Amino acid sequence: MMLNKKTSYTRPRNLLFLFELLAIALLFVYDRENLDRFTIISGLSLILMIYISNFLLLRISTGDNYIFLITTMLLSIGVIMIYRINPALGMKQVIWIGIGILLFFISYFIVKNIKGWRDWTNIYFIASLGLFVGTLVFGTTKKGSTNWLSIGRFSFQPTEITKILLIFLIASYYANYEKYKEKKYGSYYLTGIVYLFIGFLFLQKDLGTVLIFYSIFIALQFIYEENRKLIYLNILFFVIAGIAGYFLFDHVKVRFQIWIDPWKYIDNKGYQITQSLFAIATGGFFGTGIGLGYPDFIPEVYTDFIFSAICEEMGVFTGMGVIMLFLILVYRGFKIAISQNDKFFRIVALGISILFGIQSFIIFGGVLKLIPLTGITIPFVSYGGSSMLSSFIALGILQVASEELD
Amino acid sequence: MYNLFSLIFKYIFIAIIYLFILSIIRLIYLDIKGISGEISDGSRYLKLINRKDSLPFNVKEHYPVEGEITLGRSNNNKIILKDPYISKNHLKIAEDEGDFYLVDLGSVNGTFLNGEKILDVVKLKNGDRIRVGQVEFLYVDRE
Repeated sequence: MMLNKKTSYTRPRNLLFLFELLAIALLFVYDRENLDRFTIISGLSLILMIYISNFLLLRISTGDNYIFLITTMLLSIGVIMIYRINPALGMKQVIWIGIGILLFFISYFIVKNIKGWRDWTNIYFIASLGLFVGTLVFGTTKKGSTNWLSIGRFSFQPTEITKILLIFLIASYYANYEKYKEKKYGSYYLTGIVYLFIGFLFLQKDLGTVLIFYSIFIALQFIYEENRKLIYLNILFFVIAGIAGYFLFDHVKVRFQIWIDPWKYIDNKGYQITQSLFAIATGGFFGTGIGLGYPDFIPEVYTDFIFSAICEEMGVFTGMGVIMLFLILVYRGFKIAISQNDKFFRIVALGISILFGIQSFIIFGGVLKLIPLTGITIPFVSYGGSSMLSSFIALGILQVASEELD
Repeated sequence: MYNLFSLIFKYIFIAIIYLFILSIIRLIYLDIKGISGEISDGSRYLKLINRKDSLPFNVKEHYPVEGEITLGRSNNNKIILKDPYISKNHLKIAEDEGDFYLVDLGSVNGTFLNGEKILDVVKLKNGDRIRVGQVEFLYVDRE
């Protein structure tokens, strides 16, 4: 039974394997002066780990087999680019990917084997509230936003976890909608809670995440809310919040001005985006070749602007490939949601697909100057521990949602 | 020397990435194509029990049962399933005086009715599960 299933997935899996092998060989030649044994071993073990995980998943899960394959392709492209720009960060990213894949399987087993996720609305609320208050009290400020929490030597962004908690909260609310509807003002509970969260995010000045929270909330509400007036009200509030943000926060205003005309500010504020545009233009359709461009001219190139680096050195065609991979990923997410019978997991699958979709859209649009730039990471591609780990947790949950549950 | 490698590799990388995307789209295409299998007006039909996207070959959700039905891997069958565990001419469903009978045509891996391998001819009734290769069907008879 398994044999035939295996052979049909062999082709993309082997292509991925070949891609990683060639890329790693090229990178080792590129970085031959600082190459040590540890780097070679970790590089090869990464390839092996991705291959084995893809192989194992076919045996473990009866659900979707594409989503993990697509994400491993995305993160291979990402880690290749990060290693080329900065080998030390590339090595760290390899470790994050390792932990991420482990977390993927752990969250898959936990979510699958524990029953009762749909009824814990209060727990999701209290946990997110705790994280928000914790960030506000103990948080550290990086790049103008107070959104980092440090425990000992580790620091992480709590919003990466609250994103998933928010999806669970909305899902459990709408899965128990009948119960809440009977209470007085019951249909306003969720809206109130989400605005409370958004208020906290405004206090942290983390406006990129506000955008993500709002998008997930409005999209899911649009599908499941019976009180249609509430939706229009929320869209109206969204516009008002946007305009208020423009006047209240200086850096929003600056971002807008840069978006409209980056060339006027090319020597300081607009430097990053103009360098990004130069990089993409230099690359052309096929790119300069790995190691032959100058992506390091762009500040923050390994996190927010990794897409420009990919376009410069691997070509606009690879850039389009990355966007297509995200399209397929989101399409699979919607397909999973449609075929899932359990209402809670259907909403969770939708929420996670929207999360991946909106997050990648915001940052692709940002670096291409289609929309004002907001500094968030591309899931699975950018450098960053919290982002990588939370994306893998979300993917693990999506994998559970792709199976038939009883 | 490195530059030359890098220049050649960039074309190879793009080719591999697009082949990868295409091979995934091809697999997805197979499961979309099967969605359009509509239920016929007939009251007897075979309903697929497997999740369609777990099968890497073309299969419809419903197959009407009218007259004589043959199932197998080769193209002269009414129901063609490209499953390597299914024989070229695997089974047939034949009508006799209003009743329908399941007949194994000497397949290699056998035909299973409600979990038991059938030996010769078995009469079908509503709710029977027929398993061939990796595929499992529910026999529905509404008359």
